[in-house]
Amino acid sequence: MEFDFSPLVDSWQYLAGGLLLTLALSLLTVLGSLALGTAVGLARCYGPRWSRPALAFYVDSMRSVPVLVVLVWMYFAFPLLTSVTLPPFWAAAVALTLHIAAYVAEIVRAGMVSVREGQMRAALAIGMSRRQAVAEIILPQAIVRMLPALGSVLSITIKDTAIAAVIAVPEYMKRSETVAGQSYHPIEVFTVAAIVYFLILFPVTRIVDLIYGRVAHLGRS
Amino acid sequence: MKLDWWVVWQHRDALVEGTLVTVALTMVTMLIAVPGGIMLAVMRLGRSRPLALASASFVEFFRNLPLILVVYWAYYVMPILLGVQLDAFTTGLAALALNVSAYNAETFRAGIASVRKGQTEAALALGMSRWQALREVVLPQAARRVLPVLASTWVSLFKDTSLVSVIAVGDLAYNAMRVRSQTFRVLEMLTAMAVIYWGLGYPQAKLVDWLHRRFGVRE
Repeated sequence: MEFDFSPLVDSWQYLAGGLLLTLALSLLTVLGSLALGTAVGLARCYGPRWSRPALAFYVDSMRSVPVLVVLVWMYFAFPLLTSVTLPPFWAAAVALTLHIAAYVAEIVRAGMVSVREGQMRAALAIGMSRRQAVAEIILPQAIVRMLPALGSVLSITIKDTAIAAVIAVPEYMKRSETVAGQSYHPIEVFTVAAIVYFLILFPVTRIVDLIYGRVAHLGRS
Repeated sequence: MKLDWWVVWQHRDALVEGTLVTVALTMVTMLIAVPGGIMLAVMRLGRSRPLALASASFVEFFRNLPLILVVYWAYYVMPILLGVQLDAFTTGLAALALNVSAYNAETFRAGIASVRKGQTEAALALGMSRWQALREVVLPQAARRVLPVLASTWVSLFKDTSLVSVIAVGDLAYNAMRVRSQTFRVLEMLTAMAVIYWGLGYPQAKLVDWLHRRFGVRE
């Protein structure tokens, strides 16, 4: 078996551009789903009572449908329904954000619930308002407990952006496919892609673990 | 815009068939990945250094790769490495099994590690053998903690099977998208696909929540 890595060398700029897009899409999705997910998670704990069943329905629905389906629906079906056409990159950003925000919401809610009820009662007893108690007592403890799960959201997001290749977002996975198809060297191209993804994702998981190890004691109550 | 939902009923055979492939793929993958995960976990926890390292490398490698890339990799590279041409279903199955085995290995390892050391020590002090202590004291406790996590993995797997549609395995996602491109009824077919996944996935997700409540370990 002979390996020929020249197609990768020839189109390294094309692939590097794809990698940048992968990282940009990941960053956008992480920020978007952190914002949306935190809002939904907090609303499920402290929001108006009428909103809770609707939010629970949103979260559970996203947990039961593949991200591929959300992506494809957002890109192909959503424009027909609303006559708003999103370019692939933005369709992917919106779909991934909607999907991952549901997971973030669950993490946030579980984190808030895990703080013992006595903490809230004690805060109220010393005269804090509910809002103060949540912001100053519950949240700081809960955030530390959420960290490992939120860290895994980071790597899940980077992995999920690869699925955006299906709706032709020219990110790293899609461009690897293109180079593999044009050069007839899929082994080299996909193996290098595997190594590149691993080199990005492995440090991410490790660093998150490391940071958590440093701050874990702050979450005890 | 005129919608024609009749098209969904007309192509019900393709949808039903795809759904069956999706369910079969989920079940067969899990049937492979549970023993696979146990084997990897045992290797990792065993006394042999090289085996533990091999298991750890396998697990870390597959947990840190996008599944869709593993699917492509299995499709293009595996036939050349193994020297046999596999059909699309088997290729997709292999990719899913590699991925889920890695996750299951972590689940089993964490489950066994989560049982406090004192439990083993107490069993040994009672005169049990190492094997007895593992089988009669540690594993029953670990099982309770492993079960909810395995159930979560099951639901993820059910959803992830949709990714094998990129190598033309005739699962629900592939069949729905094929009918879509044949009939141009994009909104109807994609919505039908989403609804079927939802209808199957939603009860599973709820069941998982119940298992977590029932078996979850609270500190």
